[in-house]
Amino acid sequence: MRDSFFGLNIAVRGLYTAQRNLDVVNHNLNNVNTPGYSRQQAIQVASQPIALYDGTGMVGTGSDVIGVSRVRDEYLDFKYWSENISSGEWDTKSSQLSEMEATFNEPSDSGFSTITNEFYSSLQELAKDPSSMATRSLVKQDGVTLAKYFNSVAAHFEKMQTDINYSIDTKVNEVNSYADQIQQLNRQIYTSELDGNTANDLRDQRTVLIDKMSKVVNIEANEVVAGKLPNGKDDKHMVITISGKAIVDHFNVSKIAVKQRNTKLNDEDVSNLYDVSWADGNKLDIKGGELKGYLDIRDGNDGAAVSASYTGAQTTSPLYKGIPFYMRKMNEFVRTFAKSFNEGLIDTNGDGTVEDIAGHADGYKLNSSTGDQPSGIRFFTMMDGQGNNMGSTAFLAQNGATISDKYDNITAKNFAVSEDIIDDLNNISTSGQAGQQGNIDNLNSLLAMRHNPYMFSEGAPEDYMKSLIATLGIDSQQAVRISGNQDNIVKQIDNRRTSDSGVSIDEEMANLVKYQQAYSAAAKMINTMDQVYDTLVNKVGVGG
Amino acid sequence: MRITNNMLINNMINQVGTNMTRMDKYQNQLATGKKISVPSDDPVVAARALKLRTDVAEVDQYGKNVKDAQSWLDMTDSTLNSMGDLISRAKELAVQGANGTNTVSDTQKIGDEVTQLRNQLVHLGNTTYAGKYLFSGYSTDKELLVSDESSPNFGQFAIPVSNGEQIKFEVGIGDDININVPGSDIFNNGAAVATPPQVSPIIQHFNDFITALNSGDSSKISSMITTFEGDSDNLLRVRADVGARSNRLDLTSNRLDSDNTNFTKLMSDNEDVDMAETIMNLQNEQNVYRASLAGGAKVIQPTLVDFLR
Repeated sequence: MRDSFFGLNIAVRGLYTAQRNLDVVNHNLNNVNTPGYSRQQAIQVASQPIALYDGTGMVGTGSDVIGVSRVRDEYLDFKYWSENISSGEWDTKSSQLSEMEATFNEPSDSGFSTITNEFYSSLQELAKDPSSMATRSLVKQDGVTLAKYFNSVAAHFEKMQTDINYSIDTKVNEVNSYADQIQQLNRQIYTSELDGNTANDLRDQRTVLIDKMSKVVNIEANEVVAGKLPNGKDDKHMVITISGKAIVDHFNVSKIAVKQRNTKLNDEDVSNLYDVSWADGNKLDIKGGELKGYLDIRDGNDGAAVSASYTGAQTTSPLYKGIPFYMRKMNEFVRTFAKSFNEGLIDTNGDGTVEDIAGHADGYKLNSSTGDQPSGIRFFTMMDGQGNNMGSTAFLAQNGATISDKYDNITAKNFAVSEDIIDDLNNISTSGQAGQQGNIDNLNSLLAMRHNPYMFSEGAPEDYMKSLIATLGIDSQQAVRISGNQDNIVKQIDNRRTSDSGVSIDEEMANLVKYQQAYSAAAKMINTMDQVYDTLVNKVGVGG
Repeated sequence: MRITNNMLINNMINQVGTNMTRMDKYQNQLATGKKISVPSDDPVVAARALKLRTDVAEVDQYGKNVKDAQSWLDMTDSTLNSMGDLISRAKELAVQGANGTNTVSDTQKIGDEVTQLRNQLVHLGNTTYAGKYLFSGYSTDKELLVSDESSPNFGQFAIPVSNGEQIKFEVGIGDDININVPGSDIFNNGAAVATPPQVSPIIQHFNDFITALNSGDSSKISSMITTFEGDSDNLLRVRADVGARSNRLDLTSNRLDSDNTNFTKLMSDNEDVDMAETIMNLQNEQNVYRASLAGGAKVIQPTLVDFLR
């Protein structure tokens, strides 16, 4: 014998089940556009049947929804995180290198090659008319333009270094903030899963945060088993590590921090750049993500040895051609060029030793008289600390054992035309003999340097700058390509994730119809049972 | 693979974005006329572009130098021409004066003309071009011969000048041409160095001639004919050299013109786009873009919701 109102119970169970399913569909539809949302499914089972023990079989008792599961492939999440690290790094590098290319501004009508062409053209005009003040003024002006080009590129690079420095600080704060949020979610997920459920929406939020974090720094996120819970299930902790040390370990957070350097890593750096390390002082090795992109560009000197005054742990700069590399190359250019132009110290025959031919300082001024000494005027000097152009005497009074060493004080940022030239155009020393105005031997020696392929190991002066700009172009092209490829890979993995766990409106609408019909059927069943009971109560056994 | 509505929309956004990027690239090429705008577009093209620009600029400058050299040489040549005429006239006067039938007063009148010729010769030696003395070697700001007619030093070298003082203009890489004639070459009978207060031999010849004319020394006068022939030969030697240099400049000028054309063409081939091809590509990309928009719009809109009553 079974319970009289048993039928009603089964029907009511059907109603509840259908309602629960409709709620899940409702939730899914609501969250179609929520980032990182994985669709949920109700786990519906037939409820425990009752054994009657009278030989007529077991009786079904209806359906039950015993849980809501999240459709998610964790493996795809791992893949996404590992590819996203690389994508973040190369995106950053590609955009920073683009900015550096725009600074050099080649090929164009106002870049280095046009400016150099004009400088040498004006020197050629001077060779045809050495006593013309108008032509001398032109030479001075073109020289100033050349020096200012380097000043402006160097100043821009320094500003870029400072800006990237701030970005690094921002990114470190971002990572720490994600770590904090993930730790709070860990706590919430853990407590709500103690009774055996899965905290679906909370897990989705945590995955979104880990996605974002993986773009910034090279993390590895794992759910590790840390023992067994009292109810026999595994005790899982979410651990996120950076290069082996945990930033988030279950409820604990070890933050990363920036610390100002008090000595420069590269001679060419601006001062007080940040080092990134663990807040507890341990060394942090960043191997990927946007942080690596920024650090490589800011500090990268193509693996050169660090500055002599550096007191930190690193022995070489990052092996990437970042801003310090290009600053170093430009410094080398202006030093060698100024040295050869002013002093005539240049390798004339490619044997590797520097000879001393006629340079600007060995010439004679326009208004020299017979018997005068060589002018000793250096055409290119530098700006002093207050931004004033130095004259030749002030320049030669600087640090440096030999005249050659004094040129190490020149950098692209302070490269300038000498005050002697700016104040008095007669000081442009074209003549090779005192008292001879039309003598252009000295000027010819200066002009010949333009085509001397031994001035630099890369060739003549213009070849050097060309090869520098080509190097930047190739690196930038590589960064754009790799970044494009990584973007595609990341998008493809994201597509697979969405394919797996994304909400399909069509699917949910079909499910909606399905569950609505189930609900109607259950409701109809209740009506029927009602009629049955009505018959039972009111009509059976009533005397007739 | 299960596809959701959001995937359709996201994919469409990605693909339309890719199409727009390509369209933008051709649009840029069309607007600037250049294949590249930053070196990373094509580093090899960029490096070549820099080299070819320098080449074209240098050839331009050499062309200007050649023109300036030609005008200097032309000026020199015409001055030497005048000097040559002068010496021929002096020789004629020597022939005339050597005639034994002349009286002293006749030769004195010839002497007056010869004096004028001599003064003119000194002034020709101090010819200037654009403010520079043509024959003063490197000392282009100082006159070659003392030109003050009242001075007893008239006709002397005012400055030391040697044949080594050659002003050279660059007309090619490692290729220069000597554009001047140092005064020592003309006025010192080809001897290498002249120093003040040496009197120029030619002027001395004129001085001797005038003295002989004033005194009526007819044997001295007739010996001047050979002397002036010698001076004339020296002058012709110098003129021949100037003429040869001028010819060389003509050849160089032609070569530079064709170099200019070649390098400009190379530069243009390297970095300029073919307008017709770019317009076609742009049109093509536009079609693809429009097709992707149209197709995408049709596909992303309907969902099951529209059809459930």
